Amino acid sequence: MTAMRVDAKVVMLGKESVGKTSLVERYVHRRFLVGPYQNTIGAAFVAKALNVGEKVITLGIWDTAGSERYEAMSRIYYRGARAAIVCYDLTDSSSFGRARFWVKELQNCEEHCKIYLCGTKSDLIEADRSTRQVDYHDVQDFADEIGAQHFETSSKTGKNVDEVFQKVAEDFSSCALEFMQEEKGVDLGQKKDSYFDNCCHN
Amino acid sequence: MSQRSERRGIHVDQSELLCKKGCGYYGNAAWQGLCSKCWRDEYQKARQRQIQDDWALAEKLQREEEAAYVSSHSSSQTQPPQSHSQHSLATFSKFEEKKTNEKTRKVTTVKKFFSPSSRTAPKKVPPEKEREKEKEEKLPGRRESHGENLLRDLKGIFTQPWEMSSPTEALVSRLRESHEAKTPSPSITRQSSIETDRVSRDFVEFLKTLHKPGREIHKHSRAFIDSMGNKKQDLSAEELSECVQDFYQGMSDRLLNHFKGSSEKVDRVMDQVEKYIMTRLYKSVFCPETSDDEKKDLATQHRIRALHWVTIQMLCVPVEEEIPEVSDSVVKAITDIIEMDSKRVPRDKLACITSCSKHIFNAIRVTKNEPASADDFLPTLIYIVLKANPPRLQSNIQYITRFCNPSRLMTGEDGYYFTNLCCAVAFIEKLDAQSLNLSPEDFERYMSGQASPRRQDDPAGWPQSGSRVNPVLTQIQHNLSVLSSLEKRQQQVIEGAQSLEAELTEWQESVAREVQEILERYPLDIKPRASAIDAENVENDRLPPPLQPQVFAG
Ligand SMILES: Nc1nc2c(ncn2[C@@H]2O[C@H](COP(=O)(O)OP(=O)(O)O)[C@@H](O)[C@H]2O)c(=O)[nH]1
Ligand SMILES: [Mg+2]
Repeated sequence: MTAMRVDAKVVMLGKESVGKTSLVERYVHRRFLVGPYQNTIGAAFVAKALNVGEKVITLGIWDTAGSERYEAMSRIYYRGARAAIVCYDLTDSSSFGRARFWVKELQNCEEHCKIYLCGTKSDLIEADRSTRQVDYHDVQDFADEIGAQHFETSSKTGKNVDEVFQKVAEDFSSCALEFMQEEKGVDLGQKKDSYFDNCCHN
Repeated sequence: MSQRSERRGIHVDQSELLCKKGCGYYGNAAWQGLCSKCWRDEYQKARQRQIQDDWALAEKLQREEEAAYVSSHSSSQTQPPQSHSQHSLATFSKFEEKKTNEKTRKVTTVKKFFSPSSRTAPKKVPPEKEREKEKEEKLPGRRESHGENLLRDLKGIFTQPWEMSSPTEALVSRLRESHEAKTPSPSITRQSSIETDRVSRDFVEFLKTLHKPGREIHKHSRAFIDSMGNKKQDLSAEELSECVQDFYQGMSDRLLNHFKGSSEKVDRVMDQVEKYIMTRLYKSVFCPETSDDEKKDLATQHRIRALHWVTIQMLCVPVEEEIPEVSDSVVKAITDIIEMDSKRVPRDKLACITSCSKHIFNAIRVTKNEPASADDFLPTLIYIVLKANPPRLQSNIQYITRFCNPSRLMTGEDGYYFTNLCCAVAFIEKLDAQSLNLSPEDFERYMSGQASPRRQDDPAGWPQSGSRVNPVLTQIQHNLSVLSSLEKRQQQVIEGAQSLEAELTEWQESVAREVQEILERYPLDIKPRASAIDAENVENDRLPPPLQPQVFAG
């Protein structure tokens, strides 16, 4: 198997047609023009390497099917995710209601998963302010409350798109250190008790 | 009449599905028609034999590996090719031996110890093993503590000094432990042990490139298989999974920390370790008796069968099977997902899912002329699973979840497709009227088989729209039309025959009439002849008059 080694799983969540696929497409497509030609057969899974300082972090971006039919299965998708980009449509208030639902789910089930709230289609709002249905400050308050990051993006113009994924990679990079130390601490303790490290006589 | 015989072709008689041992449970072709319990009983006998074979081979490999190691370090390059050919010869003769011994199974086990391929085994071992076996049979209560023993053994592996004092000793101690040796069934073992041998060889070949760490990895892996082989039947599926996962974790930690391998290199080694370990453990940890995997497999199989009426439109699958390339991809996807069951290594099973997914993506891309998103992919995967009804789907999913290296499963591309497969199965299990945008009444009617959505929609159109309809229905339709045209032609033949018959009768009569006429026209009058002698002489009158007697005076 030639599959790329992936450091972190990033899952895209949000109601149908809020723009999850477009966001990933936009992000990856732009890199297409400069980078190597890859992942052309589908945009459902994308592995993307980013530079964070000295390091290269590879994000595995998981698009999900947004249809209500599959909502019951969404838990299977975000299992083990290190970041969730929860999308809502700035011009559709009901989509933000759904976003709250996923946030609650994630908080209950995936404590290691960082949450990124992403209001999409900001170009529509810029074109006509009256179309905004989700207030920026309401979302910011909510984000502060749950300890999430908050972005407003446009896949049409590309505004803020790179920033979201860059932030995800940076957070993962700095968090991975802590997380690994924490993990290692626990693991080594167990291993000492059991079998693995006792045998090293060098 | 044709309907009924068609049906018989599709539905299997209930009794054919049951275990061949007649225990009342369902059998499975993969278990040679036995249920999991009876299969395990059978297999248990064969297992011990396999362990012994494996060990003999492993010892041989170890020696070969060491020889290769030594020769590569002492710069004498004459030996390796020779030892290699010897080795492959030995493997072949072992295979031959298995073949010829099939009829004398009972002595096979004993014979093996004296055969040249396992010369290292001391002769006193078999009787000792017999004694061990007797002891074991008298002590049925011992089994309960096996779980504990396993943990102790695992500790043992890793607290033991790396180097065993001698391969012979290792083998002896190993054989002492194999107390359950019973008559093996070669037909069960042969196929798998050939594969196991091959995997073992590949593993050793791979480890050779790693030099010293390679040898330690080999020993660790073998010791782990050994401890698992001994105790596994008493552990729950989750405990088995934990043991294997702990082993992976310990091994990769060790590779990272002690041998300072890069994470790519560690991944590569871990892939090989997984392949080696799981090829050997497969039979005993796939769908273990202690789990209800088998029950779930059957439930899912039935469920998918009951959903045979679900159409592409109901699932909103963006695939048009009329396009040849698309239907080709669909067939390949179905083949791949079915093939998953035939693989033993979790990662190989995962590769089947990935390959299936790629074909699905291709089908969508060709249909829609743009890259597929998750909204396209998941429904198509659900459709493929419904069409394929892959064997032992739940067991396979569980097996991958339990025994795959987690770094593959959780984050990477393979993991994505695997997760989608899990979703597809969950969806199929929960599927109801609402998830197909049907009314509950329709859903019920389709489920109970009272109605079929296709025929209701366009009763006239369905024979033509071939690939959209269930292919079996299309086939039936086709057969029916063939039959009716046959009937028509038969009718023509009969009519032809009848007219021929009439013609013949007519002809016969006309001939008779003609003859009669001729007879009447030329009546046969027989006139009495004057001369009897010349009666037959036709040209009587042209003859000169008969000579008359004349008197001459003289
Ligand atoms: N104007 C505008 N339209 C967008 C944007 N993002 C998505 N859309 C449109 O919203 C619709 C749904 O987008 P899609 O990515 O398929 O949503 P998904 O169901 O969440 O994957 C499509 O018609 C997109 O063209 C955006 O940033 N600006
Ligand atoms: Mg989408």
